Amino acid sequence: MSLEVRRVTKAFGGFCALDEVSIAVETDALFGIIGPNGAGKSTLFSVLSGFMPADAGEILLDGHSLSRLSPHARARAGMVRTFQVPREFRHLTVRENLMVAAPGQTGEHLASLFLRPGQVRREELRIAQQAEEIIEFLRLTTVAELPSGSLSGGQKKLLELGRALMVAPKMLLLDEPFAGVNPVLTGMIVDRIRELNARGIGFVIIEHELAALTRLVPRLAVMDRGRIIASGPPEKVLKDERVREAYLGAVT
Amino acid sequence: MFYLQLALNGFIQGLVIGLGALAITLVFGIARFANAGTGDLLTAGAYGALATHKATGSLVLAGIGGIAVAAVASLLAYILVFKRLMGRSVMALLLASIGVGFAIRAFHGLLYGHSQYVFQIPLSRPYVFFGLRISALDLALMLTTALAVAMLFAILHFTAIGRQMRAVADNRELARVSGITVGRVMTALWLLVGAVSAVAGIILGMKTVVTPEMGWDMLLPLFAAAIFGGIGSPAGAVLAGILLGIAQELSTPFVGFTYKIALAFAVMLFVLLIRPQGLFGTIERVR
Amino acid sequence: MEGYLVAIGIVVLINVLLALGLTLQYGRTGLINFGHVGFFAIGAYTSALLALQGVPLVISFVAAGAFAAVSAWPVGMVSLRLRDDYFAIVTLGFSETVRIVISSEKWLTNGMQGIPGLPRLYEGIGGGLPAQLAVLVTLALVVIASATMIQRITNSPFGRVIEAIRDNEEAVTALGKNPASFKLRVLAVGAGLAGVAGAFYAHYITFIVPDQFGPIVTFYVWMAIIIGGVGRISGTLVGTAILMLFLEGSRFIRDLIPAIPEVEMASIRLGVIGIALILFVTYRPQGLMGDYTQR
Repeated sequence: MSLEVRRVTKAFGGFCALDEVSIAVETDALFGIIGPNGAGKSTLFSVLSGFMPADAGEILLDGHSLSRLSPHARARAGMVRTFQVPREFRHLTVRENLMVAAPGQTGEHLASLFLRPGQVRREELRIAQQAEEIIEFLRLTTVAELPSGSLSGGQKKLLELGRALMVAPKMLLLDEPFAGVNPVLTGMIVDRIRELNARGIGFVIIEHELAALTRLVPRLAVMDRGRIIASGPPEKVLKDERVREAYLGAVT
Repeated sequence: MFYLQLALNGFIQGLVIGLGALAITLVFGIARFANAGTGDLLTAGAYGALATHKATGSLVLAGIGGIAVAAVASLLAYILVFKRLMGRSVMALLLASIGVGFAIRAFHGLLYGHSQYVFQIPLSRPYVFFGLRISALDLALMLTTALAVAMLFAILHFTAIGRQMRAVADNRELARVSGITVGRVMTALWLLVGAVSAVAGIILGMKTVVTPEMGWDMLLPLFAAAIFGGIGSPAGAVLAGILLGIAQELSTPFVGFTYKIALAFAVMLFVLLIRPQGLFGTIERVR
Repeated sequence: MEGYLVAIGIVVLINVLLALGLTLQYGRTGLINFGHVGFFAIGAYTSALLALQGVPLVISFVAAGAFAAVSAWPVGMVSLRLRDDYFAIVTLGFSETVRIVISSEKWLTNGMQGIPGLPRLYEGIGGGLPAQLAVLVTLALVVIASATMIQRITNSPFGRVIEAIRDNEEAVTALGKNPASFKLRVLAVGAGLAGVAGAFYAHYITFIVPDQFGPIVTFYVWMAIIIGGVGRISGTLVGTAILMLFLEGSRFIRDLIPAIPEVEMASIRLGVIGIALILFVTYRPQGLMGDYTQR
């Protein structure tokens, strides 16, 4: 799945959050986005996933324009985003959070619920197994039956990631997946992302954890004040003067 | 000419709707909930005026009496019910306001019975301007409304308490933190809401009849106008009310008398779907 | 005496069916439906009009439920995207519009004069107690089936999505599921139950007029589920029983004290409902049987 963002612009009143942002992410790429706070990174995700309309510009998924697709349709098309601040279903347990994310469930159709109970049951077992696998992988076994509202911040982040994985998307937009996650687990998630990427899933990752990100992505873009100020391989980008200025302020 | 006369009648009806919508939008903007008991505050004003008129024979005193009754009823509703529910869910406040409306309606039904009362207004020949008939009462009511609206706007924009009310409407937390006593603002709000509703109810009562259901029957047009004008915009509410009143009257030759309420409903739907902020509202989250 | 008990039983169960619909819509899904009586009316009139054309009651009952469910579609399409309070007002407007249409379209519904002479269920058995009992049993079976259906829906993947929507609608959207579609289906099922209740009602009292379908009915049902405990089926039953106790009780008082005219009683009932709503919402929002989920 390829993603092409062409000169996307989004303003809130007088404030320009996205200024003609253009990115091209090839099929099954691993692409990073970094930048200081307020640069517009999460806004970009919101616009890409359809939660906010763009004022101008185009978004193309596999060559097809997304402008007509509602947010849930874009997710169904294969592009799934996570949220920077986790949005867990707090009254549901961790396990239920994961299970509800599975796509195409027969049990979500009222008629099928009553006419094909056997199939619904079988699917539930399969989905439960999938969820179990993710629970184990993300080290959430001890809290699996707890309401997700009672998890710690880091655990909620993991759940957010786990839920997105359950959807089996073709491209994942991850918003700060490593924030609040311990280094060992971060390493395991990095490995898992590489694994999934090898199987054909593309990733666009916003992160502040530069250590983890630069190990993972061969290409990244830097945003500052709504614009892309640099893009390319991490070693080159991080040495760029403009990037340092953006993070540290202009060097006098 | 026929249509202009209809429009004129609609204009006066529109004043009722506009004032009622004003009461709704004030509560929505400052206390942040939809008060479904607003209609019954109108009724309270009408009955208050009726009783005062019977007692004193003076229309002016009747007006004052009606305003006083409704203002007190409104304030009581706040103190006894809404105050305890501030911060609770939408459902809680909505249902409580329905309950308040029911209670007021029951009170009127028991106290005054269900027969229709009419204001004993001295008959007079209507004035005729350019072929349009307009009675002295209509002129007086229009003047009273203009005065009431003007006073309300003056209070909102030129007094300290009015500024505080607008501050709370803009940002409640910030207002509280900057030292505004929310309690006092609320008291002022609910007294004003009662007064405005009373004027609407009195006009309605004088132009038609006074029954316990009169205000509740108007609830949908009131909400429609509040939404049409833009929730939170007092000017919008009044303007939208007038427009809706005129539209309702102009539609009667085509859709018949009984579908007037349905027209209000249609307008409300149209606004919510096409332009949810209404005429002058801010892009409030309607969705 | 038995006749009276059976009659009460029928009325209670009709109200339970209405309340079950609202329990699914509000108790389980959080939809503030203030227009429930509108679906009740659609069901009643649909069955009545079909029955008068000679359609067998079994079919007209099914049609009543189906038509009421279908009518939920435009209501939902238009209003489900709206915030809670706007949704409530729009649904209220819907039920009032239904009542206005019923009152005005004389050619269809005989307008304000209503439709008399409706056939009863099981008329073939001959009137009197056996037929009434048959109605009661049928109604009870329908109620049990409906309650079972609601439980099944709640404890299913569908129900899981509904719970997720209540917690965080945007996150559900981000996972590729359309919350509006789920809410719409819930609205339709609840409306269908109200429609079937309407059909039972019409063929029980045999004479329907528009005035029987005003908003007070909606808020009777709301009171029942609030008092009983929102979202719990046991709460629905308890609340409806208490509601009926109150309504029947008020009739008894009137029989004992004939000096109170019916309109006065109506006002007293209105006032008690209003105050009960206020008190329960303020002091015991979880009702007598407890809230389904602490929200």
